[in-house]
Amino acid sequence: MSSDLTIVLLSLRVATVAMLIALPIGFGLSWLLVRKQIRGRFLIEAVVSLPLALPPVVIGYGLLILLGNRGPFDGLAFTTFAASLASAIVALPLIVRTFVVALEGVDPRLELAARSLGAGPWRVLMTVTIPLAYRGLLAGVLIGSVRALSEFGATIVVAGNIPGRTQTVPLGIFTRIQAGDDQAALRLVVVSITLAVATLIVHDLLLRRGGLAGRRDRAGFGA
Amino acid sequence: MIFPESTGPGRDTNGVFRFSFTRTQGDFSLEVAGDFGPGITALFGPSGSGKTTLLNCLAGLLKPDDGEIVLYGRDLYRGSPNMFVPPEKRRIGLVFQDGALFPHMSVSGNIMYGRARTPEADRLVDVDHVVELLGLRPLMDRSPGSLSGGERQRVAIARALAMSPRLLLLDEPMASLDARLRGVVLSYLRRVHDDLGIPMIYVSHSISEVLALADDALVLSRGRVVASGRPSRVLLDPVVGGMFRGDPVENLLDGTVVEQGGTGQSGRVRVGEIEIVTPPMDRPTGAPVIVALGAEEIILATEKPSGLSARNVIAGSITDLDLVVDGVYATVDIGVRILVALTQGAVDALSLERGQDAYLVFKTSSIKLLEAEPRGEG
Repeated sequence: MSSDLTIVLLSLRVATVAMLIALPIGFGLSWLLVRKQIRGRFLIEAVVSLPLALPPVVIGYGLLILLGNRGPFDGLAFTTFAASLASAIVALPLIVRTFVVALEGVDPRLELAARSLGAGPWRVLMTVTIPLAYRGLLAGVLIGSVRALSEFGATIVVAGNIPGRTQTVPLGIFTRIQAGDDQAALRLVVVSITLAVATLIVHDLLLRRGGLAGRRDRAGFGA
Repeated sequence: MIFPESTGPGRDTNGVFRFSFTRTQGDFSLEVAGDFGPGITALFGPSGSGKTTLLNCLAGLLKPDDGEIVLYGRDLYRGSPNMFVPPEKRRIGLVFQDGALFPHMSVSGNIMYGRARTPEADRLVDVDHVVELLGLRPLMDRSPGSLSGGERQRVAIARALAMSPRLLLLDEPMASLDARLRGVVLSYLRRVHDDLGIPMIYVSHSISEVLALADDALVLSRGRVVASGRPSRVLLDPVVGGMFRGDPVENLLDGTVVEQGGTGQSGRVRVGEIEIVTPPMDRPTGAPVIVALGAEEIILATEKPSGLSARNVIAGSITDLDLVVDGVYATVDIGVRILVALTQGAVDALSLERGQDAYLVFKTSSIKLLEAEPRGEG
């Protein structure tokens, strides 16, 4: 059996890589949904939201077909990366939903003003869009991370439950309950609850302050 | 003029700036053409006529479907072969209706935003001068949320000017201002243009504003150009006339206080070479002020009248007579050009014609004074 520390560190590693995958994709998709009148908008929204509605096991099985034997990405199943990928996919809908709200709060005319003042699209993003949306964006990062850390169903199917490689905190708890080691399981449960509560408190604080700041900002545009 | 004339291809017109393009969005189509010099051009028309769309196309925020946009001989847009200069490479300043200031930056952060992205060699506008000119020095550390409408508007103008634009586009910069601030911003814009020589295109709903500010006018209706040319001619055109019925035509003249006046005593304001007797005012001697004088309030005489109760009798000569829906507008040069509303009957009876000498007569009480400078903070 892996030590508590090994399991927690692996969990953090899996979640971090999951965020590195999900955040750029999530931001890109949200930006497209908010700023561009694209065709097939509904389709993108539906596909992105699907992991929210499906049992995670189904996601895991889909990934297993892609990453497993004879799949197009043969050899990736049952790796740490597979665990990250599973977490990224289940976290993506929550990230996109939060990011969309955050970006909708940014007046598009401010971005246009910045363009007319000589800033290219990338610079507008860094100096106007992200600074104005950062509270909502940070909230999205946190809620996505919480989801990634608590991922179980998809991970166990596509990555298995390999100690030191794919055994994250939820899988570790599962294993210890199965083994009847309640005390060891409880230690991880406490870690899990602490992480979740801390993140949710920060998330809540951000959104509450974000709301106030949002109103202040809007007052700045009034005629 | 601070920008050199281009020697590139496409400089086959007298203009600094020309465009001719179409753009269709939903069931609205814009089909416009224009050719303008280095002055101030007014864009006039009812709401929904496509003024803002036109400005956005010029600035590069929207892409036309076909046509061309040329500034100082350089193609900014061409339908075929397809070429499109993105907005950040055009150096066209844009002042939005309500300023659109960045709420997360200070006033000075806003002003320097475009400046910081202007190549060293192109920084032709002195930011300190603009800040001074627009009276923004005391506001530099404030946040946009704490500014009044007029202050925000001035910051937006300074922000656009600080990047040394080749062209400045103003989308109803006075829409959200009260009458007092209108005079202030109006005189700023005129001073900015005179001092910095940047050509401007200016959207306005007010014929008086346009007459006071613009050298050229372009009138849009339902996405088409219905008239263009000298403002007094274009805006008083019968076709255009219907658009601003009910908006009284006012002459807005830049002046300086000579005498404040007081209870029972008139004030005096110098406008160019002449002095106008005005109602008393609470502006100090030497302060800039705008004299607003309705075109309907002025009597035109062909000989010098005497024995009048009206205090202002000023000599000039008629430079234009423009036919409008319900009469004639005479332009009289008294050092500045003044519009006088006449009936066709009066023009016939006096057999008025261009080049003729004339006297303008108006009462002190028909004059309104607008501040040309903000009174401290606020």
